Amino acid sequence: MSSFDISIQARASGDFHEATILEGLAPMDLLVVEREWSPERSNLMQELLAAGVDRRKWPQSLHWDWSKKAPALRLLESSGFGLVCEKKWQGVMMTRTASYSARLKADRGKPIVYLDFLEVAPWNWVIQDIHRSGLFRTIGLQLFWRAVQQSLDEGFKGRVGLHSLPRAEDFYRKCGMVEVGHDAAKQDLVYFELTQEGAEKFLADGGYK
Amino acid sequence: MTQQSNRTGPSREWLLRMADVEDSCPSVSVGGMACDLDLLAPPHSNGQRIFGRLVEFARRQLGMSVEQLANEADIELSEIVEIEMHDETVPRVRTVFQLAKALKIPEGRLMEVAGLATPRPEISHAALKFAARSESTAKLTFNEREALEEFVKVLVEVSDGGMRD
Repeated sequence: MSSFDISIQARASGDFHEATILEGLAPMDLLVVEREWSPERSNLMQELLAAGVDRRKWPQSLHWDWSKKAPALRLLESSGFGLVCEKKWQGVMMTRTASYSARLKADRGKPIVYLDFLEVAPWNWVIQDIHRSGLFRTIGLQLFWRAVQQSLDEGFKGRVGLHSLPRAEDFYRKCGMVEVGHDAAKQDLVYFELTQEGAEKFLADGGYK
Repeated sequence: MTQQSNRTGPSREWLLRMADVEDSCPSVSVGGMACDLDLLAPPHSNGQRIFGRLVEFARRQLGMSVEQLANEADIELSEIVEIEMHDETVPRVRTVFQLAKALKIPEGRLMEVAGLATPRPEISHAALKFAARSESTAKLTFNEREALEEFVKVLVEVSDGGMRD
């Protein structure tokens, strides 16, 4: 297993802070993360309610409560990664390497890293309606970067697949992922895939055109 | 956690370039696992349930059958049944306006109760209070009638106050 020494940028000062992406979180660790994150989620919800922000504009993962899903989490085979800075979980990612294979025609059937879950700590969210600017940035970006590294380590040549939440689709397009289409098996979320060429471009210059 | 070997992350230059890309997008969240665990659907909103209950009670208060309300409001009978019976139904804007007219409830307020406009705090509070006190039965009980009258009173008062429409 590998941990990566990275740095993340504080939004207010622009300073870079030392951080680490750890590997080896179990799905149940999400519950520990959730305990750390849930008070902040509650605060955000109160602020959004008080400000009368339309619910359609709320963060799409605001209501996720993993504690109610603990039994199901025990059954999942996923392993995970956590980005730690200043002794706090700033972001978490779970991946699978066996359950999914490539769907794009050129790569169909080839193994991929399937990104099951990626979430950034709520204190890093930017929510303009309630003047929240977020503490650190590049959390999600570097976790996705880590998923591409995992794919390379596994010999999958950088191939990564994921189902994006609707408001995150633009991010994955800009990372160079190919939009495969809406997936009826996943409540019509859009499925994206990163090809070998896409991964090379993403790692070299970000993949953004 | 098992022993880990340390490696180095992306270059500072790459990071700064891509940070702007990340910032230009509203979210980075991935939903596969949340979908499998049925976390994607937002928590059940009481809005539609309260709207359906309000329509039903107001109709009964006026002594109207569902059919009479459909004729009065010029909307499909099935649409009213759907609104009154199914908590998940999101009504159409025209339907809400027509119902408001037929049930003598301010249009803007009914839009808020229906979840088609952002409700102001006093409307949300009154709606929750109404929901807590009402039970669906064939005939309005004294308590239900009182709950309905109180709720409609708030809707009318807020409207008359000219705070927002």
